[in-house]
Formats: sequence, C-alpha cells, structure tokens
Amino acid sequence: MLRGSVVRVHTLLKSATGLQNGLQPLAAGSTRFMSKENTETDAQFDQRYENFFNNPQIDGWDVRRGVTDLLGHDLVPEPKILIAALNACRRNNDLALAVRILEALKNKCGSKVNEIYPWYIQEMRPTLTELGIPTPEELGYDKPELALENVDDM
Amino acid sequence: MANSLLARTTSRLIKNAITKPMIVQTAASSDGGSYVRTLIGKREVVGFGYNGEPTYVDRVDFPLPAIRWKEPTTDILALREKEKGDWKQLSIEEKKALYRASFRQTFAEFKAPNGEWKGTIGITLLFVSFAFWIFFGLKTFVYPPLPQSFTPENRAAQLRRIIDLQINPIEGISSKWDYEKDDWKK
Repeated sequence: MLRGSVVRVHTLLKSATGLQNGLQPLAAGSTRFMSKENTETDAQFDQRYENFFNNPQIDGWDVRRGVTDLLGHDLVPEPKILIAALNACRRNNDLALAVRILEALKNKCGSKVNEIYPWYIQEMRPTLTELGIPTPEELGYDKPELALENVDDM
Repeated sequence: MANSLLARTTSRLIKNAITKPMIVQTAASSDGGSYVRTLIGKREVVGFGYNGEPTYVDRVDFPLPAIRWKEPTTDILALREKEKGDWKQLSIEEKKALYRASFRQTFAEFKAPNGEWKGTIGITLLFVSFAFWIFFGLKTFVYPPLPQSFTPENRAAQLRRIIDLQINPIEGISSKWDYEKDDWKK
C-alpha cells in the first residue's frame, strides 16, 4: 500500500521534472526543426563531399553510398567533387563504377544536358585522360547498345 | 461449424507462423546472411543499393545497385586483375566487358521508350468498349423507353412555354428573346 503510493509519487515527480528540464512545451517560441535551419554554405557542402571522396580509407561501398547521397540532392555536383569520386574509383579499381557515375551525372543534367554536360566533360577531361576513364560516349553508351530494332521501323 | 472452421484456421496460422521462419532461418544461416543472399549465387555485394537488400535493379534515382550483375567467371576475374593496373592499357572492348559485368543496362538502354504505353492504352480501350456494350445492352433490354417529354415536339413546346413565362429575363434564356419580333435577338 505504502509502496504503491511512493511509486506513484515518484513517477509524478519524474514526469514533472522531465517537463521542466528536458522536454520543451509545444508552444510558440520552441525550436522548429526545419530545413531552413541548415546553415551549411555551398562551399562547405562541396568541401564536405570532396573530403569524403578524398579519404584514402573509403572502399567501393562508401563510394557508392557517397555518390547516391550526392546525386540525391537537387543539384548537379561540382566537377571537383566528381574528380575526387573518380579518383576514389581508381583507388578501388572499379572502372565500371566510374563510367556509371558519369552516366548518372549526365542523367542528373536533366533537360539542360546539352548545355551542362559538355562543360563537365571539358572540366574533367584532364582526370579522365590521366586515369584512362572513357566517357559513356566513347563506349557508345549514349545510345542504347543492346536495344532491339523498333517494330514500327521494320 | 463456424467455430470448428475458426479453430482450424487459427491452428494452421499458428503452425505456419512457427514453421515458416524456421525454414527461412535454416536457408539463410547456411549462407550467413539474409535469405536473398542465397539467391544471388557468387555475385559480389558491392553496396547498399536502394533498400539494403542484395538485389539488382537499374534505377535512375539509385544508379548503383547493391550487387554486380554477372557472377565472376574466369574471364571476368582475369579482367579484374588487369583492371588493377593502368586503365589506359585496357581496350574499349575490355572496358565494355567490365561495365557489363557490373551493370546490366546502360542509362540510355533502360531509359529508352519501350512502347509499353501502346499496349496499356489498347487494353484500357478494350475495357472501355466493353462498358459501351453493357450500356447499350441495358438500354436495349432493361430500361423502359424514354419519357414523352424527350421527343423533339415536346421539348420545343417546353421551350416555348419557358419563353412565354419569361424565365430568366436578365441574363438567361428570355433575355435573348425578342418579344416584339417574336424571335431570337440577332
């Protein structure tokens, strides 16, 4: 009987202090977790991803994770980030991954692909030549390679 | 009757719930991972993919699948050894072979239109035409003929009466009627 009431008082006290210390009331003036609170500048963003890909420790899994993450943003990443990513592919001996990243970049250019994509290739050309990475165009991957002939054209 | 049915269903459900996971567990435990891993053969798991399962899907939003497309054969393993050297030494064919070992289709291939919309529209129209058959069938065999008020003479008479009663005289139908000339306003 006594024990029961002691426990009840304890929980009451706990919830009361918890409200005072930890939990903020949901009234106006409390912190709102909104995306505009993100204070990272574009330069910091670029630097963060460049550092990630320049880390000599990362393996193929991490490169894939980083690229998926990067391409998930509403932007076309800077050439220097992609150069770092391509170098990471080189360190992990994965040529297919490098070509796939270039393809994904081209897809990411969207409707502006004719304006943006050639500039990217031009910016990355030294790295591509140095590492021997072919562009998708050089492999003939800008058009469907294994496609069947369209039945309407036969 | 209902009670015995319920009892049988419940007992079967419980039985399934107990035995099924055990089967999966034994299959997975022999391979030390998820059940899907037993399906992919010797394919190398290289990433997270789009949901963490070791499956291969060509997707635009997740361009890097979790596993490589081909199982490593001796040819591919030899190529991978060569890949560790200078990539400039690789021929275009070898680079393509490496790409196809990792990925099934290029972006250009899996984004190419496949003409599926034609079949979809065709089948949709099939169902729409079927609905038309039902509609005309009902009209012919089920519904009584339309009431008298739908005949052209009756509808003309009704219009005449609307005009005579000057219904909607400001902006509606009677405002367009010239009562002096007894005709529509020009």
